[in-house]
Parts: sequence; C-alpha cells; structure tokens
Amino acid sequence: MSLKQERWVGLLSLLPAFVLLAIFVGYPMFNTFFHSFTKWDGVTSVFVGWDNFRNILSNGDLPLMLRNNLIFLISVPGILLISLTVSVLLHEEVKGWRFFRSVYYLPAILSSVVIGFLAKSMFTNRGVVNTLLEKVGLGHFTVDWLNTVPTEFMILILCFYWQTLGQGTLIFLSGLSSISNELFDAAKIDGTSWRQRLFYIVIPSLYPAIFYFTIVNVIYVFVGLFGLVYSITGGGPGYETTPIDYMIYIQAFKSGNMGYASALSVFLFFIVMFITWIQLKISKRLEQ
Amino acid sequence: MKTASIRSIRFIIFIALAIIAILALYPLIYMAFSSMKPTLEYIKHPMAPPQTWYFDNFQALIYRFSLVRLFGNTILYVGLSMVACLLISIPAAYSFAKLKYRFRNEFYVVMIATMTIPGVTFIIPNYLLMSKIGWTDHIVSVVVIWAVSAVPSTVFLLTSLMRGMPDEVLEAIKMDGAKYYQAMTKIILPMSLPGVVTVSIFNATNWWNDLLTPLIYLQSDNLKTVTVAVATVLNRFSSDYPLLLSGLLLASLPPIAIYIIFQGYIRKGLVVGAVK
Repeated sequence: MSLKQERWVGLLSLLPAFVLLAIFVGYPMFNTFFHSFTKWDGVTSVFVGWDNFRNILSNGDLPLMLRNNLIFLISVPGILLISLTVSVLLHEEVKGWRFFRSVYYLPAILSSVVIGFLAKSMFTNRGVVNTLLEKVGLGHFTVDWLNTVPTEFMILILCFYWQTLGQGTLIFLSGLSSISNELFDAAKIDGTSWRQRLFYIVIPSLYPAIFYFTIVNVIYVFVGLFGLVYSITGGGPGYETTPIDYMIYIQAFKSGNMGYASALSVFLFFIVMFITWIQLKISKRLEQ
Repeated sequence: MKTASIRSIRFIIFIALAIIAILALYPLIYMAFSSMKPTLEYIKHPMAPPQTWYFDNFQALIYRFSLVRLFGNTILYVGLSMVACLLISIPAAYSFAKLKYRFRNEFYVVMIATMTIPGVTFIIPNYLLMSKIGWTDHIVSVVVIWAVSAVPSTVFLLTSLMRGMPDEVLEAIKMDGAKYYQAMTKIILPMSLPGVVTVSIFNATNWWNDLLTPLIYLQSDNLKTVTVAVATVLNRFSSDYPLLLSGLLLASLPPIAIYIIFQGYIRKGLVVGAVK
C-alpha cells in the first residue's frame, strides 16, 4: 500500500464515524446552543435573547439545583476513601479475596433503575430497614425515610456508593499491583513500618488512579444521576432533590419548556467542560 | 509471636471484607427472596426467607406484562446497536492506531473530545429530529442513538488496544499486497477480538441498563425495553412490591450473567482508562 493509498484508506475509515457524529452530536449541540436563546415548545421558537439565562439565575431554581449537585459532589470523597480502604485491605490477599472482589463489583453491573427501586422498597415505612431497626431494639430510630429531604439524599448517596464501590476497588487494585515488589522489599529491609509504607509508597503511586476515579465520579454526579433520581425520589418533593440533568428532563419532556431546558443544557455543558479543563491541567502536572 | 499477631490481623481483615461483602450482597438476596413471596407475606415478614416456592409474580410478569416480548425487544435493540457501533468503530480505531496520514492526531483529539460532551446537551434536538423524520416510537431511533453515542468511547478503547498489535504482521500482509478488507477480516479483526469483546460487554450492559434514551424515544408499551418497562409500567403497581422486585430481578439477570461469564474482560477494560 503506497503512502497515498494509506492516506485515503485512513481517511475513508474515519468518514462514517465522523458523519454520524456530526449529525447526531455536532448538529444537535449547536442547535441546543441556538435554542437556548429562544422560547421554544418544539415547534415554534421565538428569539428572546438572554431571557432564559436570566430566568435560570433569577427564578430561584438554580441555587436549589446547584445545592443538590453540590451535595452529591461532596459525597465523592467519601466513596473514594471507602474504595481506597477496601482495596488496600483486599491487596493483603487474605483468604477469599478474589471472591470478595467479584462480589463488590456485582452492584455496578446493575441498572440505576434496579438499584433505585430496590433501595426504595427497602426504605419504605414497613420495609426491611425499619423492621430491622425494630428487631434490634432501635425502634425509636425508625424514620419515614422516603418523605424527608435529608434521608432522601442519604438513600440516593447510599445507592451511588453501592454502585461505585466495585469500580473504585478494581481501579485501585490494579494501581496497587503495579507497585514494584523490589521497592516494597527494599523499604521493608530498611525497617519501615506498615504505616510509613502506606503513606510514602502506596498512596503516592496511586495518585493517577485516585485522580482518574475522582474525575470520572465528579462528572458522574453532574450527568449520570438521572436513573437514580427518577426511580427513588422523582426529584421531589417539589424540586428538593432535583439535580441539573433531571431538571433538563422535566423542563423539556414534562413541561415542554424546550428553550429553557436548552439553556440549562448549555449551563451544564460548561460545567462539565470546566471539570475536563481542570482534569487536563492536573494530569499534565502529574506527568511531570 | 510475630506470626501470631500477623495471623490475627489477617483474620480481622478477612472479617471486615466479609461484612462489606454481606452489605453489598444483601439487597440482591432480599430482592430474590421477595420475588418469591405473595404480597401479604412480604408485608408481614419483609426480612424472612420465603416460606414456600411461589412463582406467581413471575407468571404475572410473563402473562400480564408480556415479559418475553420485552426481553426480545431489548435483545434485538442491543444486538443491532452492537453491530452498528462496531461497524463504524473498528475501521476508525484501526485507522487511528496503525495508518499514517496528515492530521491523524487532530482527528483523534476531536473524536475523544466528543466523549466529554454530556448526553443531555443533544437529547432535545435529536428527539425533535427523530420525530420530524418519523422515527420516534420506532426501534431505529434507539438503535441509532445508542450506537452513535457509544462510538467515541469504543474507538478510544479499541485504538489504545490496537496500538499494541505488532507492526511486523501488518507490514507482511501489506507486502503481500492484500486488499484492505482482506487484511481487516483475516488479521486485524481476529487480533483485536479481545478488545472488541471487552468494549461490547461494556456497551451491551450500558444499553441494557439505560433508562433515558428508550424512555424518551419509545412511547408504546409493546416497544419498550425491560429496564424502561420496569421503571414505568411496573411502577404503576408500586404498592405491589413483590411484583416490582420480581421485575427488577429478571431485568438484572442478563447483566449478572454477562458479568459472571466475562469478569476478566470487565476487569481489564475498566482500567484501560485509568492506566492509559
């Protein structure tokens, strides 16, 4: 194959992918940007300038949505710590560790819908959680979990953790197994304690994995919560548990405010781009 | 003395891991138990194992909610999406990994950048586009959206795996004057098969579990996927928890089966992005 041929084959191989991405990702994205400046019901659109964005900033929904996303955001370090701890324990390779590793990932393979409805059924008034509390003599701790906002968030975050533990564990385990044994043995001979090895060898060599896990899940709490919110709270009461992505769904497909929803999408787009930008900055630093 | 203390520490670690495993598994066991209880028994004893083998919930799902059809739908959509996605992605990934031409890296960056665009930013115009050409409430819409939106991540994973293919073999077939499609079917495809399997497992489970796309594009009950049907149709009977939980259980069986069979592939695929 000559160089010229190779060029044509190479470009033609890309063509279908790029044409389809242009139609179903590129064009709709510009369309969304354009319609974020219109009042749009899906059929007719009227240009309204910055009105949608002004609305978002002034009608009080935004602080609420950002608060909701923020609650999920500050839950990310929690699952990071849990996964790290679990993977360090697994790395000791005690009896049955392979089995445990498989079990931890099992919930991650399930749909958010399954996770969500399953949790919902467990936390109903007469569900297993309250029954268990009564049986062990903690009856006065029984709560109507699904009807107060703080406990609703607790259930949502619990589901998020349950879904994510396996992913974190697998990522960190593969990071741990890439630490060279010589380094470890040398440190042992030098008489370092287990804790010193943890903080001076294990954790630093896991930085890239920790960073990757954090970014993936920070983006997830902005764009991936739809299934859990849909199945557990439906965003309610009111919009009390509605994150941005779920609000876009409500506004576009329940209320028919497609212009407003487009403006929200643009808003979300820039949030995600900002996170990606930070990711690029930090990963360049890590490489140095 | 020393070994005794190490042994007891290892025993404590084992206990800790076992407790976490029970916490992770309990909801699934609860789901399986509850699906075999009549509603009354479920309300009275939510925690206990089922008293008898009781399959009425599953029968109701099969006869009243045409479960077989829902499974057929989902398998069909996932299968078509998988074929479409691979047909688009494999040549592109090979081109990025092994062919040399100008602006290759620029194209690659554009492709990877589309991976970071959140799906919700293009769902509204796509929905309107689909309804304009009359594809809403038709399987084509879901298949096209699933396949196309999975292309960037599929290309990313396949490209990073195909870069590891030995150049000598590829050079040799080039010297033999093999045509492009011959090289593709005889050498490239067989050699990248593990990668293709890995990425297809991830795509298939994601699609099987997806709620948003089929929820928006498909309205008729007889076109729905299992996941959407559980979330919408069964939720109308939300007071009947054993029925809902049986539906959830059946919807989870295919992903669980895939996981049990292909665990190794999943473990490898998951860390490709992390170690890169």
